[in-house]
Amino acid sequence: MKLVGSILGMGLLAWVQAGCAVPECTNPDYARAECRVVAENELARLHTPSSVEVRFQDPRAQTSATWDARGLVRFEDGVVRARVAGPGEFSLSFDADADAPEQIAVELENVDPSADVWVERGGVETPVLAPTDRTLRRSLQLSITPGESVFVRGRRGCPEQYRVAFASDIQTNPAQFERILEALEEERDAGETVGQPLVALVIAGDLTESSRDDEFDTIEAMLRNSPVPVVVTPGNHDIYRPRHPHFNRRFGPGNHVAEVCDLRLVMLDTGSGAIARSVEARLPELLERGDASDMIVALHHPPYAGLTGAGWSREDRAQRLLAEAAIADVDLIVAGHAHALRDFPGIDIGDASLRQVIVGTAGAYQGLGEPRFGFLRVTLGGSSPQTCFVEVPPPGFAGPQGQPLSGRLDYCD
Amino acid sequence: MARLTLLGVGIAAGGVASGMLFALGDRTGSGDPATLLVGGGAVAGAGALFGALVARLGGDGPADPDRIRPSTLGLDYRFTQPGALDETHPHQMRMTFAPNYFFPGGGGRLRLFGHVGGTLWQERQVDPRPQFQQPIEGQLGTAPVALRERRLSIGVGADLAVNLPYPVLERSAMLGAAELRYKPEFQIRRETLDPGLPSQRVIERSMLLPLTVGARWHLSPRQRFTVYFGPRFDIVSYAEPGEDQLARGSAIVGPLYGEAWYDVGFPMTARPRRDGAERKASVNSQLSMGYVHSRFDGRGLNFGPVIGFLGPVHVRWATRVRPKTWPVAMQFGAGATIGNGLSGAINMGVVLPDLGDSP
Repeated sequence: MKLVGSILGMGLLAWVQAGCAVPECTNPDYARAECRVVAENELARLHTPSSVEVRFQDPRAQTSATWDARGLVRFEDGVVRARVAGPGEFSLSFDADADAPEQIAVELENVDPSADVWVERGGVETPVLAPTDRTLRRSLQLSITPGESVFVRGRRGCPEQYRVAFASDIQTNPAQFERILEALEEERDAGETVGQPLVALVIAGDLTESSRDDEFDTIEAMLRNSPVPVVVTPGNHDIYRPRHPHFNRRFGPGNHVAEVCDLRLVMLDTGSGAIARSVEARLPELLERGDASDMIVALHHPPYAGLTGAGWSREDRAQRLLAEAAIADVDLIVAGHAHALRDFPGIDIGDASLRQVIVGTAGAYQGLGEPRFGFLRVTLGGSSPQTCFVEVPPPGFAGPQGQPLSGRLDYCD
Repeated sequence: MARLTLLGVGIAAGGVASGMLFALGDRTGSGDPATLLVGGGAVAGAGALFGALVARLGGDGPADPDRIRPSTLGLDYRFTQPGALDETHPHQMRMTFAPNYFFPGGGGRLRLFGHVGGTLWQERQVDPRPQFQQPIEGQLGTAPVALRERRLSIGVGADLAVNLPYPVLERSAMLGAAELRYKPEFQIRRETLDPGLPSQRVIERSMLLPLTVGARWHLSPRQRFTVYFGPRFDIVSYAEPGEDQLARGSAIVGPLYGEAWYDVGFPMTARPRRDGAERKASVNSQLSMGYVHSRFDGRGLNFGPVIGFLGPVHVRWATRVRPKTWPVAMQFGAGATIGNGLSGAINMGVVLPDLGDSP
């Protein structure tokens, strides 16, 4: 009898639990990864006060019926500001209601100065002039008639070989990160000289220490003046003022795909110590290589932590991500979180072997001893991604000269 | 004295861990011992304080000869917080076993332990991206189901305890007896994931703990502190989408594994009945507080920006009822796990006579 009572009690508990359920993020807590999925998706579209619907789209989209979290759209001072989340191809749709104005001012942010940008209406493409300087902004006045759908699209041309820079964990040291940005300007120029342009900087989280507005202001201003487009995803230090989606409101999505040249760059938001469960459900789609020659996954918490002590809060999801990465034949995983440079060149998952590099070297405190700051250069376009480390020492220090790096990593020439 | 010593050890462990984390930082590349010390030290310190309070209020002896140990055969039922609308977070049930063999002469014991179980129904996860406003057939909300999962869990291990001072040294009468322990263990989780594609995924995760060692300190007749630690090796295997045949690779080094437990015994029938009648059963209970330095099952304690470093915290209560003259006892328990939310568990089981030279 007691057993029957216990079972009935458990059933009642299950029923009560089901009855308590509300839609995700009804009571916002942006420290939860799933809630940030909702935020990044909502912030990728905007209905302006002048009745124009602006949406980031999959670059291949031909209709404006849905949208895709590939950027951040804001309306400020009468201007639609659209921050493109990644380098390479992008697409924005503009749908005008019947009472919409004939012209709207649009400013695109985080767009490569050398990218081709054009307005597409009714199958006719009109190019947007490239900036005269090397800024990452494009301004345009978009003519739109009521009831019309217009696309603004962009694409960056690529030579056979190209470079992508990776770094993570700025936190309390934006001054050091500024030195890294200066080094990236040299890296961009040097790359162009040898026919390997630098197409993006990827920051794998922890842009701030405490998610404060002044910290985000500082980093946002720096990234606006970056020599190359910057791709970001949040870390645990970027999400812990959970009443608002501060990171997403500044930079847009943390989970997104950037397609540049022959690279598929998959950014995953692990700020909460794991990807959202719904993102886990989308992994087969996110890791679908398509025509890309190379595929890199960048995220804050390393899915393989080794003995760093800095792993995922949910190791089950980390290991499932590794399995999906093995199934999808991912070429490289880049992470941060541990304030160090660590190369794990042979992570055996099933019958595959994955490589992961931790590059928490963008400025954050590394403990006592000589710091190692800089970025990971990944050269793509060959048979496999080539990696090396560019040291950017702090003032008054020439760097830990000649010390061997981790795993297969070596210093760049 | 023993609790005071343990409190000091806990504080020292916290200090050493802080030093490792903040002074050495991530430079060593091996931060796991520090985070393990944080969790273990916290249990040691909190346990010592709680234990002192209990001893002051309720007495600290004598020891109960029928002290709580895991049920020989048991059922464990686990439940967690509700999910979002149209999601299910299934409850889990496990059959557990833990027979004991005691060595002759009180030299120690060997316990074989394990479980087999899994989720009782399918876990469902919706895609919360707000792209639809139309209700979906069979659902309450408009977010489509994006992932379905079933989980099987199997674990087996052995726990060997050898009493000290035998054969190493003589102990101080002030510090209580101690045991050395060796606990090799093997855990498997097989997860079948259906992400809404034609092909489902089967992923098997194994955790090997071949060299876990530990110690138990009997701080008083009714209170014990136990630690385990050791290397961990993981094997992540997967089947190609739509297939069942797993591709198994070699073991990779995982994070360090560790446990710290503080147990307090509460004999419920130590005093005679007020009416002088003889008791028909002996009843005793135990409260356990523990920290497990493993997030293998997706449970980790996070606070502020401290995310991804610590494992879960456990609190458990168990009560054993042994009718007079019965060789078999019944044991009931309840517990909570804090880590990535809160989950609860209830369990019941039978305690069969131990094998060997039972104490």
